[in-house]
Amino acid sequence: MMTDRTSLRQKFLKKWVKGLQMYSSPKKLTTVMERKRFIRLSADVALASARGGMTRWSRALFSSALKDSQDKHFDRKIPGRAKGKERKLHESITRKITSRKVLKGIREGARKKGKTPSNRLPARTIAKRLVKKRTQLLRKIVPGGESMDNVSLITETLDYIISLRAQIDVMRSLVCLSGHLDA
Amino acid sequence: MDRGGRDGIEQELSNQDPINYSSSCISPVWPFCSTNISNAPTSSVDPAHMPAVCKENLIGSSSCSSAPVADPFGPPALWDQTTTAHTMVGYRDITLQKNLTNLNILGGANIGLDPALLRGDVGWNPPISMPREGIFLANTPGMLPPSLTQIPADSGFIERAARFSCFSGGGLGDTANPLSGADGIGVCPRGVVRMPISVQGEVFPANSVKLLPTIRDNIHIVESSKDAVVRSEYIQYNGEQTKQVVGGSGDDSSGPEFNEGGDHDENEENGLGSKKRKRNGKDAEFREPAEDLKEANETRQKLHQSPNSASGKAAGKNNKQVSQASEPPKEFIHVRARRGQATNSHSLAERVRREKISERMKFLQELVPGCSKVTGKAVMLDEIINYVQSLQRQVEFLSMKLATVNPRLDFNIEGLLTKDILHSRAGPSSILGFFSDMTLPYPPPVHPSQPGLIPAGLNGTGIPDSLRDNHHNQINPVGGGGSKGSALLPNLWEDELNHVVQMGFNGADPLSSQDTSDGTHAKVEL
Repeated sequence: MMTDRTSLRQKFLKKWVKGLQMYSSPKKLTTVMERKRFIRLSADVALASARGGMTRWSRALFSSALKDSQDKHFDRKIPGRAKGKERKLHESITRKITSRKVLKGIREGARKKGKTPSNRLPARTIAKRLVKKRTQLLRKIVPGGESMDNVSLITETLDYIISLRAQIDVMRSLVCLSGHLDA
Repeated sequence: MDRGGRDGIEQELSNQDPINYSSSCISPVWPFCSTNISNAPTSSVDPAHMPAVCKENLIGSSSCSSAPVADPFGPPALWDQTTTAHTMVGYRDITLQKNLTNLNILGGANIGLDPALLRGDVGWNPPISMPREGIFLANTPGMLPPSLTQIPADSGFIERAARFSCFSGGGLGDTANPLSGADGIGVCPRGVVRMPISVQGEVFPANSVKLLPTIRDNIHIVESSKDAVVRSEYIQYNGEQTKQVVGGSGDDSSGPEFNEGGDHDENEENGLGSKKRKRNGKDAEFREPAEDLKEANETRQKLHQSPNSASGKAAGKNNKQVSQASEPPKEFIHVRARRGQATNSHSLAERVRREKISERMKFLQELVPGCSKVTGKAVMLDEIINYVQSLQRQVEFLSMKLATVNPRLDFNIEGLLTKDILHSRAGPSSILGFFSDMTLPYPPPVHPSQPGLIPAGLNGTGIPDSLRDNHHNQINPVGGGGSKGSALLPNLWEDELNHVVQMGFNGADPLSSQDTSDGTHAKVEL
């Protein structure tokens, strides 16, 4: 158990530092916000890659970080090869999302036609609505959540939480060490 | 620890191989099977693992383990025996039935498991860890049911579980199920909707195909579920290929023995109880082929209520027992409707889905702090959302902090480490240990890399980069070769000293700084 956590952390750290090293033009990162953004993006990319391409959220995170980095001209952060792949993934994800939405719209339309609207609001319905709303929210939060069905959404969330924890652990220790340095 | 256990168990499995597959109780085997089944409860492969809650369905074969009958019949041929032993891929608490490993669904603990891996027989190498609440089906030494063990409240485990769930679909189809050919063996469990779990052989009826994804997921959930209740209920692997209406070979016993979700030891609330009914092995066994055939037909319609209920009740009682495992692992997941429930295929699938979801929610419950007492999807989701949001905010905050702390974005881990070593009174702190492990491979790549990553102090001193590189290069052979911390430390020390020295000589002319650095270096070497 411990080994898994530590190994994830180690993997993450390795990739992250590598990514940081790759960044060799410090000219653009003058403000704190810029630096922070760079740090965050590089950390996200490292985290996503540490997870491999097996989880959807990691792929989505990759693609969104790529987009972000492109906006800020952090091109060096992500090697060129990855870019093409990520773009494709991103496209496929957006395609999935749109197709899903279309399908959902159709389904819901059909359903509404069939059922008679009722004015009652049993607790069950309320609960269902709540759940729906919240799953929607969760989808927005978890990267790549839009194109997943409920089941895999929860699985991905699980994985995402674990990775986030590892990321936070690493960053925190880094801060600690840097803190020592300053002191 | 897990490894050792796993090895031991694998060993066991391989030894037991020939015995295991008796589960595919073909009609001729029935008498044997029955004995096996009866023996199953008594024979516990892992006494320690006897799960009180073990509801592994699959292990029907487990009953056969003790039986000398072994399997003169097909079943061994059916399963990819070799794979089972080999496919134990790191899933800690799950002991897979050999057949299950064929499933490849849970392609290993890592989601990162590649499709190739999944395809190969190495479906799954669950690290067989100590049984937690007896999830193991003690049925067969050889046949370890894919019991869902209790998930330790360890994120690593949960992580693995999560990984499990994300199996790649490709893996399913690839392993050819030798069993599939054995039509004679497979008998559709009555009233059970068969869903091919592993796409071995494609004997699966068409109508079950659509449920495949859910079933697959189900399997994952089952495997990863720490909840005893949920676990066993779900999966019933039919090792034998069971075409729903396979010429009445009637061996239903081998058919889906589901652990009935009905009576879970643990409260399966929200009707999580799997709708799959565990067919009582005994009942199945003695059913006549004709009846089986009929039932198989009915299964198409999804479930017959009365026979199911009857068997279900009996099954319910046996839920917690190992005897359920008399069912040999099959590739199908049989879902049965419970008494009084709709037998529509859609609703069945819905139920399966729902149960999967709840199973995963349980995982999340363990992961998210403060969620253990919460029941209900809505509240749990709320907590999860809050937690994820807080984690994300933490990441933002920490990255901001790092940005302020480090104006040049030059993270010299080693330098930091050495500083930490210097300053901290405690020995290797957890951070240090953590980092030093990680930085071990670093020295070679870090040092020769761009001089841009020089510690801040050194940059400021104006030391020529060449000097720095030389220094690094000098250090490299020292630290690079050794992959041990001890080898690294001198490296770090030198770095650290250099750093300190250089800071002190800020602004000094290159010569003097050079001298100093050399001197320092010399001192260190002395």
